[in-house]
Amino acid sequence: MQEAPMSFKARAERALADPTLKLAIDRTTGTAERKRAVAMTQFPQFEAARECGKRIKDHVIAHLDHYLLEFERNAIASGAKVHWARTAEEASQIVVSLCRQAGAKRVTRVKSMLGEEIGLPHALDEAGIERVETDLAEHIVQLGGDRPSHIVWPSMHRTREQVSEMFKRSHRAPHREETIEAMVDSARRELRDKFLSADVAISGANFLVADTGATCTVTNEGNAELTTTPPRVHIVTAGIEKLVPTTAHAFAMLRLLVRSATGADVTQYTTFHCGPKQPGDRDGPEEFHIVLVDNGRTRMLREGLKEMLRCIRCGACMNHCVVFRQLGGHVYGGTYPGPMGAVLTPVFDGLKSSRDLPHACTLNGKCQEVCPVDIPLPTLLRGWRDRSWREGLEPASMRVGMGLFTFVASRPRLYRLATAVAIRVMRLFSRGGTVRGMPGLGAWTAHREFPAPAERSFMAMYKDLEKGQ
Amino acid sequence: MTQPQSASRPPSPPRVGLFVTCLVDAMRPSVGFAALKLLRDAGCRVEVPEAQTCCGQPAFNSGDTADTAVLARRFIEAFEPYDYVVAPSGSCVGMTRAHYVEALADDPAWAERARRLADRTYELMSFLVDVMHFTPAGVKLDATVTYHDSCSGLRELGVYAQPRALLDSVSGLSLMPLEGNDVCCGFGGTFCVKYPAISNAVVAEKADAIDRSGARLLLGGDLGCLMNMAGKLKRKGSRVRAFHAAEVLAGMGDGPAIGEER
Amino acid sequence: MTARDTILNAVRLGLTTPGVDPAAIRREAAALLVDPAARRPSLLSDSLVDAFIARVTSPKVAATAERIGTATELPDVVRRYLESRQLPAVVALQPAAILQSLDWSGFEKHDRVAADETIAVGVARWAIAETGSLVFHSDAETPILANFLPLHHVVLLRANTVLAYLEDYAAATAGQRPPRNVNIITGASGTTDIEGSLVLGAHGPRYLHVVIVDEHSALDEAQITA
Ligand code: SF4
Repeated sequence: MQEAPMSFKARAERALADPTLKLAIDRTTGTAERKRAVAMTQFPQFEAARECGKRIKDHVIAHLDHYLLEFERNAIASGAKVHWARTAEEASQIVVSLCRQAGAKRVTRVKSMLGEEIGLPHALDEAGIERVETDLAEHIVQLGGDRPSHIVWPSMHRTREQVSEMFKRSHRAPHREETIEAMVDSARRELRDKFLSADVAISGANFLVADTGATCTVTNEGNAELTTTPPRVHIVTAGIEKLVPTTAHAFAMLRLLVRSATGADVTQYTTFHCGPKQPGDRDGPEEFHIVLVDNGRTRMLREGLKEMLRCIRCGACMNHCVVFRQLGGHVYGGTYPGPMGAVLTPVFDGLKSSRDLPHACTLNGKCQEVCPVDIPLPTLLRGWRDRSWREGLEPASMRVGMGLFTFVASRPRLYRLATAVAIRVMRLFSRGGTVRGMPGLGAWTAHREFPAPAERSFMAMYKDLEKGQ
Repeated sequence: MTQPQSASRPPSPPRVGLFVTCLVDAMRPSVGFAALKLLRDAGCRVEVPEAQTCCGQPAFNSGDTADTAVLARRFIEAFEPYDYVVAPSGSCVGMTRAHYVEALADDPAWAERARRLADRTYELMSFLVDVMHFTPAGVKLDATVTYHDSCSGLRELGVYAQPRALLDSVSGLSLMPLEGNDVCCGFGGTFCVKYPAISNAVVAEKADAIDRSGARLLLGGDLGCLMNMAGKLKRKGSRVRAFHAAEVLAGMGDGPAIGEER
Repeated sequence: MTARDTILNAVRLGLTTPGVDPAAIRREAAALLVDPAARRPSLLSDSLVDAFIARVTSPKVAATAERIGTATELPDVVRRYLESRQLPAVVALQPAAILQSLDWSGFEKHDRVAADETIAVGVARWAIAETGSLVFHSDAETPILANFLPLHHVVLLRANTVLAYLEDYAAATAGQRPPRNVNIITGASGTTDIEGSLVLGAHGPRYLHVVIVDEHSALDEAQITA
């Protein structure tokens, strides 16, 4: 990740200075926000569905050991091979060695955020295995040599002009017309034979169905089934929190997921995978592997982030986040951006390197309001701030300042005096109702005026009034 | 004063402790006097406890829970004697109602006191409407206004209809819709000075939306957000002026707006 | 310790009450789904077939649909579909008995779907009125790729296989061994990956046409219960 040495603030400033990026963000998140709003008006049962979805996830998490074992048992019975991975490295190494065992030269991949989380693209590239991303957005990300900037629209940061240029440079028979339709067609032509000639397919899962051992993937393009059907081997990687008790529970979650993500009622393709090719089947892989990944999830369970395990990766929180909509996803520096990423990245990358993420938030609560499983994101973000403070990661100036403020504010008479002095100082710097050039106010006044205070504080004037009565 | 008597009306006159908030105290006392007037007009016996300072929200949102607890205990002591605690700010009330219990979680006795006080603590406009069933009488202001719903009030306390109901009784006033009325203005307390560039980008969009509303006045229920928006409007040369809604409701809408010389 | 044991132990460490009786967990899970009507959207019509058609042809799903009296009319429907688009009478036919038994004279037909297949004709096992979805199971008569490779996908649907809600499909298959693949298909393939604007025919079919047959023969019945 080329931008790792840059600080969060530097990355943020670079993004803020990029009008093309802002345009791209507004187009995608704006459309998503509008479509979700329409979907909500057509689904008055949303609140009840949301409550149910939240309880399903809480139930599964409360009995996670039971559901993991039930899933494993049924998956094995269906002919799947189940693998367990404690860490990201372990997970990607399992996948790489399965590819090696299969003698894979070319693997096709269906977009999966867990795959990004465990560093799979990098691990496959390192192992010298040709990796073909088949999701259109991931294809664009691969051609651009960068990272996903949104969990639902990974190439959200690219404008159509940029995509057109990339396709012309790298497709064998690129589009001639400058329309999005023609570009989509170009990708269709380019990827078609790669689907059919891959040795291994790798996908993620939106749900793991405990009582059948099936994995469920939801997509819109049809690339997932084209990817996972032809190769000899299909590998699914999934986080252990993806479990649902039954297919019916998966449907209850699906209604929430799709409306929150794209505003559609369901995705075009909802596919359940259960084991390898069965006798008589016309097509399908001979081997079906499932890699169950922990990578910090059991730690979240123990360390007060249980509620975050409800997340179904719909992206609504970022689409509605004022900060994300200014910055886009790359600034967050981790696999997951936006509010949910600001909660998750400290889990994966450590708080020290990511302490800006939970702080760069106004705690306005919109993310929780739109979250289809009612995750208290602001509370969880504040929890990281609390931890950052306790672990001494906050700057000394902040700690001293807050201590001093508390000392004064817990002594009302001293506080009155301090207020009077502060007013006096601010008024010294005031002209035309505005405080100008006052040291310490630069962060505010760089961008907006700071209104001058009244001559005396409320408490001082009120006291005089009382006396006068 | 003419107002409908309601069965759910508290034993009159209730004793209300007014928390003016640290920002109103230091920056814009008129909001405090407006609150005082409105509460008295509504029939409350209002007192302003001497011991009040700051609710501790800056410490809480910085992750400094220990200092928050110190200020929370002070606040509880100061306001416990009253039937109700009222403040002209959704975010300070959100702090005391929703977060004191969290900040004092390690201390069950204090957490219990926080819980009991939380139930009696209200944002000014929701208190006037929901508890006092109050309608201001005889207030007049010829102006087109637009309203920004500050996030804490809206999402932590459900303050939305109350300010609109109260403003509806001001004659001459017409309310223009604000695109993204429920979208954060980018203030976020210490956020706006910790991440000034991001905050600026957010408030710039907000100021544009306010300008597009066509209103001459911007109203809201939280001084922090209002100072942020007013400061941005002024910097960009907008002619929209900003007031706390309480000021307009108390008949002070013809005075100097936020950031105007008085 | 294996990764499996490490993870399971770590899970148990994080739970408040690990090791609850499985029967109690199952009861709790089932109780979560009571009163489904309160949690799902209402159907667009009282008639399941009408509700399905309204949904599948709505702008959100954007497929086309028509009704026929008997399955024997299907080849004519396909002929007209191709003629109106000036496409040659070449179809990939899903190797399902009900389709193979029809009279396809005048067509050049094959049952292996090519990578650049123009049109494939298939048959759905069920449909869902709630969402306008078609349900396919992989088996000897249903290659999964036939649903994804062609540009045009024409699907025969028996009127009596339209279910109301997604859960009704789960109930209809409960206790059976699941097929390798269940495809729930809702409209044509689409993408919004470039600037959020919707384009159909991303990798899968660009056009989906559903042909609903009202009558069903004994053969159809055999298919349904198979
Ligand atoms: S936190 Fe909620 S809104 Fe955000 S991606 Fe997860 S489920 Fe969706």
